[in-house]
Amino acid sequence: MTKLKLSGVSKAYGATLALRRGDLELDSGEVHVLIGANGSGKSTLCKIVAGSVRPDAGEVLLDGRAVTVSGPRAAQALGIGIFYQELSLADHRSVAENICLPDLPRQNGLFIDRTALRAEAERYIALFETVAGAALQADTIVGDLRADQRQLVEIMKALATEAPILIFDEPTSALDRAQVDRFFEILRDLKSKGRSIVFISHRMDEIFAIGDRVTVIRDGETVGTTTISETSPDAVIHMMVGEQETLATPQAAPPIHAPSTDIALKVEGLTGAGFHEVSFAVGRGEILGLGGLHGQGQSAILKALFGAVAPRSGEVKLAGERLRIDSPRSAIAQGLAYVSGDRGRDGVISGRPILENVTPIHALRNRLLLARPGRLAEKALPALKALNTKFAGLSHSIGSLSGGNQQKIVIARWLIDKPDILLLDDPTKGIDLSAKADLFALIRELAAEGLAIVLYSSEDAELLNNADRILVFNGGSVSRELSGAERTRYNLYQAAYEAA
Amino acid sequence: MTTNASLTAHDSGLRRLLGRFPFLPALFILAVLLILNGIFEPNSLSFRSLTGLVRTYMALMLLAVAQTYVVYAADIDLSVGAIASLVNVTIIVLMQHMGGGGLSVLAALGVGVLVGLACGLVNGFVVAALRLQAIVATFATSIFFTGLALVILPVAGMPAPTVFWRTYGGSFFGIPFVFYAAATLAILLYLLARTRLATQLLAVGDGQQAAFQSGLPVTAIRIGGYALCGVFAALAAFCITGDTASGDPLVGAKMTLFSVAAVVLGGSALSGGFGTVAGSVIAALIIGLINSLVFFAGTPSHWQNFVQGLAILAALMVGVLVSRRGRA
Ligand SMILES: Nc1ncnc2c1ncn2[C@@H]1O[C@H](COP(=O)(O)OP(=O)(O)OP(=O)(O)O)[C@@H](O)[C@H]1O
Ligand SMILES: [Mg+2]
Repeated sequence: MTKLKLSGVSKAYGATLALRRGDLELDSGEVHVLIGANGSGKSTLCKIVAGSVRPDAGEVLLDGRAVTVSGPRAAQALGIGIFYQELSLADHRSVAENICLPDLPRQNGLFIDRTALRAEAERYIALFETVAGAALQADTIVGDLRADQRQLVEIMKALATEAPILIFDEPTSALDRAQVDRFFEILRDLKSKGRSIVFISHRMDEIFAIGDRVTVIRDGETVGTTTISETSPDAVIHMMVGEQETLATPQAAPPIHAPSTDIALKVEGLTGAGFHEVSFAVGRGEILGLGGLHGQGQSAILKALFGAVAPRSGEVKLAGERLRIDSPRSAIAQGLAYVSGDRGRDGVISGRPILENVTPIHALRNRLLLARPGRLAEKALPALKALNTKFAGLSHSIGSLSGGNQQKIVIARWLIDKPDILLLDDPTKGIDLSAKADLFALIRELAAEGLAIVLYSSEDAELLNNADRILVFNGGSVSRELSGAERTRYNLYQAAYEAA
Repeated sequence: MTTNASLTAHDSGLRRLLGRFPFLPALFILAVLLILNGIFEPNSLSFRSLTGLVRTYMALMLLAVAQTYVVYAADIDLSVGAIASLVNVTIIVLMQHMGGGGLSVLAALGVGVLVGLACGLVNGFVVAALRLQAIVATFATSIFFTGLALVILPVAGMPAPTVFWRTYGGSFFGIPFVFYAAATLAILLYLLARTRLATQLLAVGDGQQAAFQSGLPVTAIRIGGYALCGVFAALAAFCITGDTASGDPLVGAKMTLFSVAAVVLGGSALSGGFGTVAGSVIAALIIGLINSLVFFAGTPSHWQNFVQGLAILAALMVGVLVSRRGRA
């Protein structure tokens, strides 16, 4: 039975046509996957359904009747709940307040019913109890949580609407495998209760694991819908890219470098908040992968190496010399680069033009006193092109870009002046399949030029396909090192789940 | 190693404490100032002097509270002082016209609250519904409110009825009236902190887009913040009237930026989403104590502003340093 039907929905932002012709048919009791390249219009379509964007044209039918969704509040009243790709959380409020924010329980009409609030929030927190980590409690301040935990809170917030139609716009981009598995269990349960679910992800395996049907969007237009069981990843990719069938398939394993003798970065007994006694070395031209479940210290180490959080003890040597890491500023000056997948917090300079977002590192490293937009644009454009970034103009605000394209801007920043060490902290969050392939091709190229690269990824395939060596983290320290033929999905999985 | 570990444990404890009670640095400064006052003039810690301090700075406390509610939502109100002036002259003129009896005073106070509320609604409408920049829009409305006050009472000086200032300055059952007022204020603030509106204001301050996407009626919430601000500005005007016992169409103007300073000193973020009204109240007292300290320390009168400014800067710096340490 068709629950929700969109036909010919469109939306333009000035000259940018975000959605040309969006069609979607959502049945009761199904998980309907939306897939498409970065900037193809998926989020726009979701926001239209959720009422936070008004469509220019087109029709929305709910239970067969035409409706106008005049705002997020109206959408909630119509029974539509949504997970926003860029999250809709209030950083200074508690987890419980965030989960219940759309409809805070009241007592005596005026006051917040704290007991009911807590009880309500705890119902949803309990759903993820086993995978969320100890810090995620009802009264934790959301700003203190890790990226994946905040994403879980946004999921809980969407679930708490108890809406018959639930939209999840890239809910899994920062989640690890255990968290995704738990989330999928919940989705299956909701599905069996007849709820309709829209699910967006750039991870092909997830789509085939959870989806019933898939609708492909290309350049703002719905290309078609097929049943998952009757299609294959290849066929979906073909629909996504259309004529330009140049999508590089990730190679099974990269050429294995002989362990480089030319050590670029050496870490000895590094201890800090979230990790202890970690030692490793990365050679020039090597891609070192960090694996394991979320929050086992991988991100914390990368942040410490970049000087964003001070480590407690231990030593870091850069090309044999002891590195003084006290601030990102000095780390950058000494040739380090850091890309965070948590772009909202660590990457994007929000509200500022694209040009300003691409060039700050260039300006810092070259001590530019005056910004000459023409000159800067000459530097910025090749970097943006290398990542196939889709944007209307350098002077447009970064907020006008799709999530994945924003992430490309954050990466492009480091490509203007090449660093010596590249620290990648789940860098592909929100980036589509073909761009991901391009990005990793580029990363390998950089490695071939002699850069030392440390890559943390929450997606196993990325590590297996790209890292020369993988350090598996468990409970804040390295539990296993996988190199050469040991780099298999099985070994990775096993090492990650091993009791520490 | 061990010392390091205990140091971080201590730091994270401080951090958690500051997250829950962002006004702790202000409380600390308040204590220091009280001690300093006691050293320079032991008499300044007497019950009488403290009562005088609260009586004089009750108005600033209320204005700081008023300002806090709009700052919660990342807005600002540069017209709080003008609203207080307008309410001050309105009630003075009303009480004068109605004879100055007990009932007429109460009626005038009722009208005063309504005037404050109306001013707040005007601000809210201009800022949230018409989407003008808060800082400029409320600056404009402040001129407008001052203009109204000047029309109602062109020159300062009309006296308040005796019963009014006698009550404000008097005592009941041995306890000064201002302490009853302070206790009522404390209860009121406690209740307001538990309302839905307070949490919604903070959520809007954390991110308007996110709040809108969550389904919150952002415009109505911001207007609500300004309305609350207007009402508290009216209450502040009552205290001004009680303290000065007369009407003055320009009396509040100089207090506006003090209220903003108190909000910041009290640990609230001007960028919104974070803060407490308790902090603002404490900070208003700090500003009062600084003024009295400057006086008791025997500063020559032509240096008083200079020293007062320096002292406020120092207090702000201490507050910032402590909170930064807690956040790192
Ligand atoms: N507020 C806005 N102002 C201007 N342009 C916008 C705005 N929001 C989106 N766009 C543009 O609309 C297009 C579609 O964006 P949308 O966010 O829907 O893409 P998406 O399919 O969700 O991509 P991704 O996979 O990267 O999340 C993009 O080209 C984007 O630049
Ligand atoms: Mg998107």
